Amino acid sequence: MENFTNETLNLNSLPKYEEVNFSPLHKNYFKVVYINIAITLFIFAVGIGVLLFTIQELQNTSNYLIFGISYFVFAIIVIFPSIASVKKRGFAVREKDILYKRGLISTTTTVIPFNRVQHVAMHEGVFSRMFHLAQIQIYTAGGSTSDIKISGIEKERAENIKELLTQKIQNHI
Amino acid sequence: MFADTFQSVVRAMWAPLLIVFLRLESEKYILVGLSFLGIVILVGVIAFLKYRNFTFFLDEEKQEFILSKGILNKSRINIQLSKIQQVNINQSIIQKIVGVYSLDIDTAGTDKKEISIRAIDQDLALILKERLLDYDNKEEVDLDENQEVIPKENNHAKPFLKISYATLFKVGITSKYGRTIAILITFIATLFQAFKDAVDTFELDESQVDSVFEQGLGMMSVLILIFGLLVIVLLINIARTFIKHFDFEIVKQKNSLVVTHGLFAKKNTLLNPLKVQITSFSQNFFQKKFRILDMNMKQASNNEVQEKQKKSSVIEIPGCDSVERDEILRIILGKIPEKGQEFVPNFRYLIFRILFLVIIPIVIFVALSLTVIDDLAFYLPLIFVYLVLVGVAIFFGYKNYRMYSNPEFIILKHGAWDVENEIIQPHKIQGITTTQYFWHKSSDVGHLTLHTAAGDVHFHFGNFTEIKQLVNYWLYQVETSTENWM
Repeated sequence: MENFTNETLNLNSLPKYEEVNFSPLHKNYFKVVYINIAITLFIFAVGIGVLLFTIQELQNTSNYLIFGISYFVFAIIVIFPSIASVKKRGFAVREKDILYKRGLISTTTTVIPFNRVQHVAMHEGVFSRMFHLAQIQIYTAGGSTSDIKISGIEKERAENIKELLTQKIQNHI
Repeated sequence: MFADTFQSVVRAMWAPLLIVFLRLESEKYILVGLSFLGIVILVGVIAFLKYRNFTFFLDEEKQEFILSKGILNKSRINIQLSKIQQVNINQSIIQKIVGVYSLDIDTAGTDKKEISIRAIDQDLALILKERLLDYDNKEEVDLDENQEVIPKENNHAKPFLKISYATLFKVGITSKYGRTIAILITFIATLFQAFKDAVDTFELDESQVDSVFEQGLGMMSVLILIFGLLVIVLLINIARTFIKHFDFEIVKQKNSLVVTHGLFAKKNTLLNPLKVQITSFSQNFFQKKFRILDMNMKQASNNEVQEKQKKSSVIEIPGCDSVERDEILRIILGKIPEKGQEFVPNFRYLIFRILFLVIIPIVIFVALSLTVIDDLAFYLPLIFVYLVLVGVAIFFGYKNYRMYSNPEFIILKHGAWDVENEIIQPHKIQGITTTQYFWHKSSDVGHLTLHTAAGDVHFHFGNFTEIKQLVNYWLYQVETSTENWM
């Protein structure tokens, strides 16, 4: 009890979450994103090809042109935002919480204190595994809106984070 | 148990049964009857086996509740007593006739294991409930569904809050129009669909029916129709309130509150103040005149089954006055929350609302009336009525949109008609999200979301510098607090 103090807090002296240095996702994650986009676009291309091949009425130059241009526009709409959004993502692990920042049009930052984490999961996709990357998902009792999913972290680092969180959870209980 | 299994079988089979009944010729009725009898016997046997295999007991040493069930697939569910959120005792009409209760156990967290005991007598249910929620006393209890237990003397404490019929009536005429109207609309829609189906199947003369409809509508003036609807809505509202909250009682028991209510299906819920995540009270203009307000206590909900659970994890207290409210707040939060520092939303809040609720609808309406539909021009004066209504709503919505913060509580006030105050204790925050659109950067405006185990709470269009400071402060509080959030 003698160590108990209750001084007035200076709000400005508290650690500022907005000034934390966020580490970006691993650069290999771009390759994963490229592969995923390529697969999506390839499926669409096959679909359009089948459509044009089977339906006779569509087989004329103007239709080819329409499909070609709209496919091109679609590809641009898919590629640029996904690349840009990956660039915008970042995470940071502080002493007592984990932060995740994302968003292209709006910047959204979620902070989860370690003592509110319910459990942690690590996922590895097929392509992510090829580049030694993993995804970390952190669950809280706040439901799906407050859970954070960080993709494209180096596998070793992801394992370290997971280990750290698991330790913190156990210590807390 | 039999009724339960039978019900589930009938629920799954009623459609084919109906078809069989309608389509078959009369001489095959015997066959159908026999097979129906067979099904009934089979259901009976299954129900009996289910009943035989359904046992539960309380392991005091390991602090666990263990339930085993199943005929072919046997399953055994263990629940740590400390994980139990809520124990509900309910009684439906059928159960009331047979004289049994059902007991549901809710657990929090991501592991969704829900237990429901469908037939249990009252004394056993009450004892079990007490034991489950109060896991300190070490005493071995072995319970079986068909075992008799000598009822322990129940200390029937004096109700600490009781809602009278007059208050219920007041609640009925003042609150939740929206929900009743929604129910009414779905009801009418189903009725209309059923009617249409009937017309189709019986091949009635459609034109005849339609003309009856049109005549009916023509004779009734719109005013009477609206007035009638209003009366119906009010009546249904009153009836609903009475059915749901009949005999509403709160009894204080040790550290928690026991809430009992319901006309047909009696509900008995135990509320542990520590497990309440969001406390809120709301009041609209009429309720202010009657001096009543609604209170809601939101408990942690399981996100996988959130839609289903939402109802059961919110405990509602209709129609209490401000003295009773303060008393309840004191029990749940430890003290009556003060408002503290006030935070006002930016005027951009208004721009956003006006754009989506005024400008866009009116532009669409005018564009439609000018181009596609000529008749619409006749209704143009209605725009002004709309403008006034929506304008007033937006204005009050803005005026009531406030956040208050002090070291112990966060209060969010919002709502144009039903003004709701949501109270959160900072140590119950699970996570914090801030959002800022890039065009708001220069004006220093941002949105805040507080995640709690009972759902999210938002404050939009606040001063972002202030929000950031608050977030840092709350994080500091959460990370240093030793208090348990549930």
